[in-house]
Order: sequence, then structure tokens, then C-alpha cells
Amino acid sequence: MIRYLLHRLGSALLVTVLASIGIFALIRLVPGDPVSVLAGPDATPASRAAIRAELGLDRPFWSQYAHWLGDLARLDLGPSYKLGGDVGSLIADGALNTVVLTLFALVLASVGALVTSTAAVVWDRRWLNSLLSALNTAAVAVPTFATALVLVLVFAVRFPVLPAGGTPPGGFFTHPDIAFQYLLLPGLALALPAWAALTRFLTEALRTQLQQPYVTTARALGIPRRRIVLTQALRNALPSSVTVLGIQFGTLLGGAILVEAVFAWPGLGRLIEQGISARDYPVVQVLLLLSVVVFVLTQLAGDLIHAWLDPRVRLNGVS
Amino acid sequence: MTDIAVAEPLVPVPVGPVPGDPAPTRRPGLLHALRHGRGLAGLVLVGAVVLLGVLGPLLAPYGATEQVTGANLVGPSTGHWLGTDELNRDILSRTLYGIRADLVVVFAAVPVGAALGVLLGLVTSWWSVTDVVAQRAFDLLLAFPALILGILLTAFFGPGLLTVGIVIVALEIPVFGRLVRTAVRTVREMPFVEASQVVGAGPLWVLRKHVLPNSLEPLTVQLAVSMSVAVFIEGAMSFLGLGVRPPNPSLGSLIKDGVRLLHDAPFFAVGPLAVVVALVLGLLLISQSLSEARRA
Amino acid sequence: MAAALIATSTLVAAAACSSAVDELKTSSGERQEGGTLRVGALNDIIPARIFTNSSDSINLLIGSVYDSLIDYPLDELEPQPSLATSWELSEDGTRLSLQLRDDVTFHSGRPFTSKDVEFSIKTWADPVWTVQLQRTAAAITGFDTSDEHAITLTFAHPLSNVFDLLDMLPIIDAESIDQLREGKAFVGTGPFTFDSWSPGAKISFKRNDDYWRGKPALDGIDVSVIPDPQAQVSQLRAHQLDLILGASYRDFESLGKEDRFHVNQWNGAEGQVYVGTNVTNPALSDVRVRRAIAYALDRRRVVDEVFRGAAIPISLPWPDYSPAYDEEADATYEFDLDQAKALVDEAKADGVAIPKLPLTYPSENPIYGAIAQIVQADLAKVGIEVELDPQEQASVIQQLIGAKFPALWILSHGYAHYTPSTLAVSAYPFNADHNASLYVDPEYKEAAEGVWQQKPGAVDPADYAALNEQLLEGSFLLEIAITLPQDASSTEVHDVGQTKRGEPLFYDSYLTR
Repeated sequence: MIRYLLHRLGSALLVTVLASIGIFALIRLVPGDPVSVLAGPDATPASRAAIRAELGLDRPFWSQYAHWLGDLARLDLGPSYKLGGDVGSLIADGALNTVVLTLFALVLASVGALVTSTAAVVWDRRWLNSLLSALNTAAVAVPTFATALVLVLVFAVRFPVLPAGGTPPGGFFTHPDIAFQYLLLPGLALALPAWAALTRFLTEALRTQLQQPYVTTARALGIPRRRIVLTQALRNALPSSVTVLGIQFGTLLGGAILVEAVFAWPGLGRLIEQGISARDYPVVQVLLLLSVVVFVLTQLAGDLIHAWLDPRVRLNGVS
Repeated sequence: MTDIAVAEPLVPVPVGPVPGDPAPTRRPGLLHALRHGRGLAGLVLVGAVVLLGVLGPLLAPYGATEQVTGANLVGPSTGHWLGTDELNRDILSRTLYGIRADLVVVFAAVPVGAALGVLLGLVTSWWSVTDVVAQRAFDLLLAFPALILGILLTAFFGPGLLTVGIVIVALEIPVFGRLVRTAVRTVREMPFVEASQVVGAGPLWVLRKHVLPNSLEPLTVQLAVSMSVAVFIEGAMSFLGLGVRPPNPSLGSLIKDGVRLLHDAPFFAVGPLAVVVALVLGLLLISQSLSEARRA
Repeated sequence: MAAALIATSTLVAAAACSSAVDELKTSSGERQEGGTLRVGALNDIIPARIFTNSSDSINLLIGSVYDSLIDYPLDELEPQPSLATSWELSEDGTRLSLQLRDDVTFHSGRPFTSKDVEFSIKTWADPVWTVQLQRTAAAITGFDTSDEHAITLTFAHPLSNVFDLLDMLPIIDAESIDQLREGKAFVGTGPFTFDSWSPGAKISFKRNDDYWRGKPALDGIDVSVIPDPQAQVSQLRAHQLDLILGASYRDFESLGKEDRFHVNQWNGAEGQVYVGTNVTNPALSDVRVRRAIAYALDRRRVVDEVFRGAAIPISLPWPDYSPAYDEEADATYEFDLDQAKALVDEAKADGVAIPKLPLTYPSENPIYGAIAQIVQADLAKVGIEVELDPQEQASVIQQLIGAKFPALWILSHGYAHYTPSTLAVSAYPFNADHNASLYVDPEYKEAAEGVWQQKPGAVDPADYAALNEQLLEGSFLLEIAITLPQDASSTEVHDVGQTKRGEPLFYDSYLTR
């Protein structure tokens, strides 16, 4: 097991290091350079040279890379080129906004899915099931940006009851009621597909549970179907849904980029989009590396759990 | 997946269907699924959109880039069923032509990506060294959310349909590569495969005879899913301004323009949005019916 | 890049303003104290670029926190007193003495002196800040600061546009320059003090109670950075913002038609949108082809359909109050497809091959895309095939600087609303030594330098006529239209101003809530 662990850790580290070099080189290969973005069209050659030197972009590639690694190791990410402020705080702010939005959407999707799927199973009516199934497919099929825009148009413009976008002025925690209003529309737009996916999964899981022998026994004992669903079946069906929840969280994070664009939500998605467009290397390379690290860690965790559960891997050492 | 192999009893290779290698018996099931209910509805939706796209030039009252003097963002009328855009072009005509861009993405880029992925997955998974390298490479590709990959690649190649195609191919390679790899690993550990190797079957023979047939069904289902994702990606990339190059239309770029003009011309996005939803919905229904048929 | 166009067009003193849609000052109630103005801006501030007017929030910051020595009225080029109360130019135009106010303090409490003027000008001349008119600032070689409340500047040669520089140049505090670089403090003498900045999200300003002109009415200004113009409009409609700087022309047009909103259109802070040509491209090296393109630009349609009337069709860059403005010359290129076709046919008959020409433009801004598609359609009618080549702003600027555009491009430039020499020596597309068109012509260079090295206010009109003639003869840069910056606010906002440089001014503003 230890051998396997070391093997996997080593390979994860290798992937990360290779990725960091790749990202560092890739972003510098993209046409358009940060100096021209910063200097603007009317700058003199002297100005551009001064900026290039100030950013350290006149040094050789490996020296720049080594410098970056050093900064990473000290967790001092330095200032951004164009977006303004420290890369660290930019990412921290963006990450907070994205995670709050994503978690909110996840809660919305889970609670919603819990309600719709238990409803579908408890009141097992043909029309209800058809309706839910249709809504479900629609929620998956309508692109997120379209739902987001329809929501803004209806609830912020036509009937101005909710904010059209942006984050709550006082932060998320000073006035939770106001924060909730700001989160509702982007959260809903983001949550709909996940809601549909979770509903589908949970309904299936509940139906499977209802075919189990213990349900037949309970029914024979005269316990109403509703009570069985709400107490026994739900409790048994939930654990498997939690895994799906994990996957959905990842999908939601990925989908946040579009929702952030529509709702002017200053999250990571918007940050990376702006970063790439401004050729703000320090911001982009850290964000790209971050997504690689997150992915590698999730993979690693998955493999390790799988290995721990599989005696052949645990004992032999190789997957 | 591997514990299936452990549970498999060691029996002599029989004539006819083998546990774990059930592909030949179930394939009619997939076709059957497309002739009924959900699958049929999906097929009709996709077929209708494809038909509109193919017949577009015959049906369209105007050219895709034809600017009609004076018709600046006018609402739906008998002359322009879906109205005109801010450059005086007929939206119905642009929608019909725009479908073609999406069809290219769906029916060219996705299969290319899938084929490359399958090929890479098949070849690399046979040896453990190439397998590890390929898996890590797939990891890297999957590590970036689809749209970030799109933004990055567009920074390189500039916006355009080709870039959208490249992004989709890049996205599909790891998806299909992994799918095939799983199938290969599963099949390889099956007793009858080990047996066939014992009697001298080469890797190619095993891949062709056992692995491909066995993974055909999950691949078909994934293909349908990937196609609907591709329509999404085209829309999302165009929405972020990374899509098809003007003045040519695509469904995504039309929706983007429509969304930008939502206040002034709410009618604009309706047509292209309906087509996109129909296409995604259709592909989704097909994939759902296929996977249900597989599980049945 | 919605920004760049809007930013260049957001390119302005409190006195003059004209509103096309609605008169700015409303009669509903008198000036009220208090309230925080909530503004939507498209771009964030960038400390390293704080002296370039490259973003609407930078413009807002400079206009609110800092003062300049003199102010131009919005649509005139007559300097008015600000931190300098009076000035005198030597006979030969190489020395300028300015009397300074003695009652001004920085937000830090330190009194403002002539040393601060010297420091500000020297900072401005430092290439690292990439400011406008850096060449003009660098031509100021002597500073006499023996009197705390007066300064004498010596120039290397007469500078016809020195007052342009003094209008643009904010007076900054030497002690806090390092914090300025990091975006931690912006210390000036202006009506508002910098309060806080959360990068990518919000910039806050508080009222400067000790402002030398008198205390402003507003308690403060909160600027939200909202890169999506549509989101800004939604937030204005939803009463989350009081004033927005970045909306699409169409949105400004429709907001202006509603009673609940004011739309201001600023004459005097103009930008220019143009088609550039690479004159070394074999097809474009023939001036007849470039003229044909100039005739085939449907400027009226672009103004009406794309800019929704917030623009003026032009053949030469100057607005009508500029000393270089010439009505007749400005009407040289009327939309004339027959003329264009004749010129193309003539060139083709002489053996000029015109292959498909790429037309590059920034992909981020739909305005450029729309213009490009109109240009493409009209050029096709006169026998010039064009392939659209949208690219990211970052690549477009790099190509502009490196003069790497293969054939045609669409962009905007500024500076034509200042002293004409400012355009000829500072705006890169017009630079006589090296420009994106690779247009080299000794006569053009002579005309451009000629209008620069003269005494302010005493440039011979014949020299301007010569410059215009050179511009039209070369036709390397084909102007489409002057664009007018706009902003929109709810009717609760009153008396917003603008500087010539495109800085929104809120010193006189007040809210009636």
C-alpha cells in the first residue's frame, strides 16, 4: 500500500510540475503581450521597454520560471499586471464569490431535488411524473446563459424585485437577507441543471429502494407508503446521492463562468477570462495551475480510496 | 469495475454469448430504442433541425449576410418572419444558415474527437507505460473546465468555427480515451480474453474482437451526450465572443447578438434559441433512450 | 474593449456641456447636500496606468481626486485658472511662468507648492507611466521653484500644445508616490478623497470637506466595476446604480427616451473611429485604392445605425471648434460607390492586383464588428473583397504598435479635440516618424512637426491647412466618425460634469432622493 501511495504521489507531483511548466510557457506563447496591453497604443518604445523591465519580462524564460516558483513557494504571488491588486487577494476574493455562489446553487439544487423527487415518489401520479420528467429534460436542455438572461429580464427588469447582478454591497455576512436576494437569480440559473440531474438520480434511487424487501414487509405491516419513503427509503437512498453531489459541485464550478458573465459576478470565472484577455500572466498562470492542482488532488483522493477498497491493489501495489 | 472480473466464474469458453461480452445480443436493443417513445421524439427533433440546416439555402428568403437597406432591427413581419438584426439582415435566413455551423460542430468535430480518443485510448491502454502517460495527459486536458480551454485556445488561434472545432476535439479526446481504456482494462481481465491470449491471439485481434464490440454501446451513448454538449459549447463560446467569425452566423452567435439586444429586440433570440433547445433536447433524448435500452 | 472605445470617447471642465437628449440641469428642486452617488464603470483602475486615461474608473478617479493647473472648457481650447491663477508666456514661446494658489492643501494636510508642480511634471515625463503627451512633458527642461507659489517652466523649443499638457496633468503628492504605485493611496488636492479599493469590484471616494473651491454636495462616490454594459443598464433600471458610464449606444438611445433617465452626450471629449491602411500592402500602396475605400465608407449609415446618432461623419479628425477644422476639407469623402468603383477599376487597369484583404478589429467590442461588416459589404460592391479578422484587443494593440497589420484595420484614436499638434505628435496612428500604416512622407512629417514647434495660440492657419492637405493626400488613415461619449443617470442625479480628457466630474453634482 505504501509503495502504491508513493507511486501515486510521485506521479501526481510530476503531473503538477509538468503542468506548471506547460502553463508558464503556454501563456507566454499566446499572441499579444502584456506590455502592449499596459502601455496602450500611443506609448513610446522607451515606455514599453521601461514596463517590460519593471515586469521582469526581459529576463530569460527559465529565470522567470524559477522566480515564479520561488514566489509560489513563499506563497507570495505578487501584484497582477493589469487587473489591479495582489494576485493572492484577487484570487481569494474571486474564490470566495465563486464558492459562495456555487455552494448556494448546490444547496438550492439539493433541497429542490429532495422536494421534487420525494414528491414524485410519494404522489406517484402519471401526470406529475410526466410533468417532472419534461421539466427535468428542459432544465438540462436550455443553455445556462439563456435561463440566466430570462431570469434577469423577468425578475430584475420587467418586475424589479431582485438585483440584476453584482455581489451584495456589504459582503455576504453582514446582511444575510440582502445577500440572499443577490444570490437568488445567479444561484437559480446555475442550480437548474444540477437540480434536474439530482432529481433524476434521487428519484431512481428512491424507486430502487421501494422495490427492496424491507419495503414490502413494511407495507404488509400497514405502514403508509408516504411514511416509508420519508423515513426509511430516503435515508437509504441519500448516501449514494452524496457522491453525485460531489460531481455536481465540480460541474457547477465549471458552469459558474457563464453565470458570472451574465450577472457581473466577480468570481474566478470572470477573473480568468479578464486575465487571459489582458495577458495578465501572474493571474492566469496561478489560476490555471490551481485548476490542475484541484483536479490532480481529486483524482489522487479517488484513486487512493479505490485502492484502499480494492484488496488486490492494496496488497499488490499496482493498479 | 475490476471486481466483476473477480466474481466471474472460470468456465470454458462456450459457444454463443459470453458473460461480460454481451454486445452482439443487445445491439438491436439500441436501434429499437430509437424507434419508440423518447428515442423517436429525439430522432424527430434532431432530424428536423438537420433538415432545416441542409435545406437552409432553399428555404431562406435572403442570403446569410445580405443587408437589406432600411430594415434596421425591425420586428417580425410578413417580409421578415423573425425580424432583422442591427445590420439589416434577415434573422430567419441567418438562423437557417447558422444551423449549418452547428451541424458541422456536432457531426464533424465530435466524431473526429471521438475517433481520435478511441484510437488513442485503444493503443495506449495496452502497454502500461503508454497507458500512464496517456492517462496523465487526459488528466491535464480534463483539469481545465471546458470554457477555460476554449478561451485559452481562442487566444492562440483567434475566434472562428475552426477554433470551436479544435476545442471540442480537445474535449472529446480524453472523454472517449478514458471510456475505451476502462473497457480495455475490464475486458483484458476477463477469462476468455486471457484464454485467447494463451492460444496466441495478438493484441490487435483482441482489441478488434473483444474490446471494440464490448465498448460500442457506452461509446454510442457518449457520442449522443457529447453531441449535445458540443451544441452547448458552441453556444457558450459564441456567447463569450469566441465563436464563429463574422459575418457568418451560427446559432450561438445569433443568440449572443439577440441577448445583447434583448431590450430593444426581444424577438431576436427566440428563433435561434428554439433551434438550439430542439437540437440539444433531441440529442439528449436519444442519449437517454440509448442508455436506458442498454441498462434494460 | 467596449471600454477602449467608450473610454476614448469618455475622453472633459464643468462649465460646458450639451445634452442631445435632455438638458442636464433639471428644475426639480434645488441643490441638496448628502448622499452617496453609485456609479457603474466598465473597467477597474490599474495603478501602473493611473495617468493614462485607459479606463473609465481611472478617469473618474483622476477627475475626482486631483486638480490640474489649468482647465479647458469642454468645447474650447481657452485655458481657465485652476491651481494656477494666472500665467505668462515669454515672447519666443520657450518660457512659461505660472502663479499658483496659496490656499490649497493635499488630502494629507500638506500645503501645495511649486515643488509639487515640478514633481508632477517630472513624473509625467517618466516613460514608465506611459502617459499622453509624454514627449511634450519631456520637452520641459527647466523648473524655477524659488517661489513656493509660482513656477517658471523652460522648454527645449516652443510647445504649441503645452496647455493641453497642463490641462491633462494631475498634481500629485510626492510623499505618497509609492503607495500610489501599489494602489494603496491616491493623494491629491481634488474635491473627493480616495477611501478604499477592492480590486475588480469597488472603488470608494469620500467628500473632501476642505476643498479649496468649497465643499462638494455629495457625501461620497461608490464606483462598481461592472464589465458587462448590459448588466450596467439592468442595474440602473433596477435602481442599484445612479449613473452608468458604459452602456451600448443603443441602450443610451433607449434610456434617453424614458422619462426616468437622463442621457448626457459630451461634445468636447470626442474620440475618432477610423479604417487604417497598411500602405506597404501591394494593393493598398496605390493611393487610388485607399481613396476608393474612403469613398466606399458609408459614414452616415454607421453614425445612424451603429452609433445611434451619437457621432458625426468626418473625413478629417478635427471637431468643429478645432483651429484645424475646415468644413470643406472635412466633406472630401462623401459616400460615393460609383466614384469608388471608378478608382478601383482605374487602379486595376494599371495592373494593381487586389486580392482578398484581411480587415482586423478588436473582437471584444460589438461596435467594431458592426462597422467592419458594413465596410465589408460596401467594399464588396466596388470590387474589393475583404475578409474579417476579429482579434483580441491584446493582439490588436501589439500589431498596431509593431505596424504588423497585413492590410486594413478598424480602431479608434483620440487627441483630435485638443490643440491639433497633440494629435500629430502623440497619437500613434499619426506619428510622422513611425506609424501603423508605415506611411513615410517627408512633406507630411514637415507639416506635422511644423504645427507642434510653435507658440501656443499663435499657430499660422496656413500650417493647419497644409497638414490637412497632407492628411488627405496620403489618405493612409481613413476617418469614419467622431464619436461622442455618453453617460446615463436616473433623474435623481443632477449637474454631472465632464472634462475634456473624459473625466466625469461630480464636484457640482447632487442627489434628490
